Amino acid sequence: MASSAIKSGALVTLAELHSSSPFFKDGTSLRVTGKLQDYSVETAIATVADGSAILKVDTQHLRDLSFRVGSMYQFIGELCIHPDNEPILQARVGRNVDGLDLNLYHQSLQLLRQFQTDHMNNQSNNLKQS
Amino acid sequence: MNKSLQTTHVKLLAFDLLSLNPTSDPTTFSRSATLLLSRAEILGTVTFRDYKPNKFLKFTVDDGTGLVPCVLWLNHLTSPYFSRRDPASVRVVANVATDFASQIKIGAVARVRGRIASYRGDVQITVSDVVIEKDPNAEVLHCLDCLRLARKCYDVVAVRNCK
Repeated sequence: MASSAIKSGALVTLAELHSSSPFFKDGTSLRVTGKLQDYSVETAIATVADGSAILKVDTQHLRDLSFRVGSMYQFIGELCIHPDNEPILQARVGRNVDGLDLNLYHQSLQLLRQFQTDHMNNQSNNLKQS
Repeated sequence: MNKSLQTTHVKLLAFDLLSLNPTSDPTTFSRSATLLLSRAEILGTVTFRDYKPNKFLKFTVDDGTGLVPCVLWLNHLTSPYFSRRDPASVRVVANVATDFASQIKIGAVARVRGRIASYRGDVQITVSDVVIEKDPNAEVLHCLDCLRLARKCYDVVAVRNCK
């Protein structure tokens, strides 16, 4: 796969992955974080949870990653929306993130989005002025 | 434009780095038309790896705001560029680069420092230093560092010195 074919996985919380979310699109590249609730060795499907929100993750392409229920994991991949509107992330990268401060992660995500919005506004203002 | 950070490895988020503009000097890039930069430090997850032994390792670093293409040169022992340098020093540099290349694996979280460069019109990093991060909070802390530095330093450095 050429690097140009790969997209950055947008940072999202599992709670944001509802059907009216802008991230809820087939093929969208996402990075999700959650606690492993269930893992099937037969199907390589992992179920991760963050609070009451859950997401299924297809881990068949991941190597050298062991799954332990109750541990925290982060996955980067593409969202696939099934005909019954159920999303599943086709993971291409995964890692154990036990020890991640989830509250800090959520807060930094809000600050990051505010910064990106301000940055884009500043750039468009600079363009208008030049 | 302000040149005070031109020799510093500035911590940048990927979307910020990728929005830098080239200048007439190919080694220098401008941020928001106020700040000149030549070096950067990024941190993120390695999501792509293209290894050509004794030539280069190309890889991408994804920090959730963008995907930064990086190139780590591995041609020190064959490139004429290094032929006039002390062979022992070149071997050391080559060994360090080979060691960095072995650490860059898909899924690893890497802190990468290097020169900001342009390849086919896109910004990339020519790698000089790699550290693999084991702390699961490293990306969050780097992100917060970048936000603080951008607001308190990079965005205001044009009007006063960075402290």
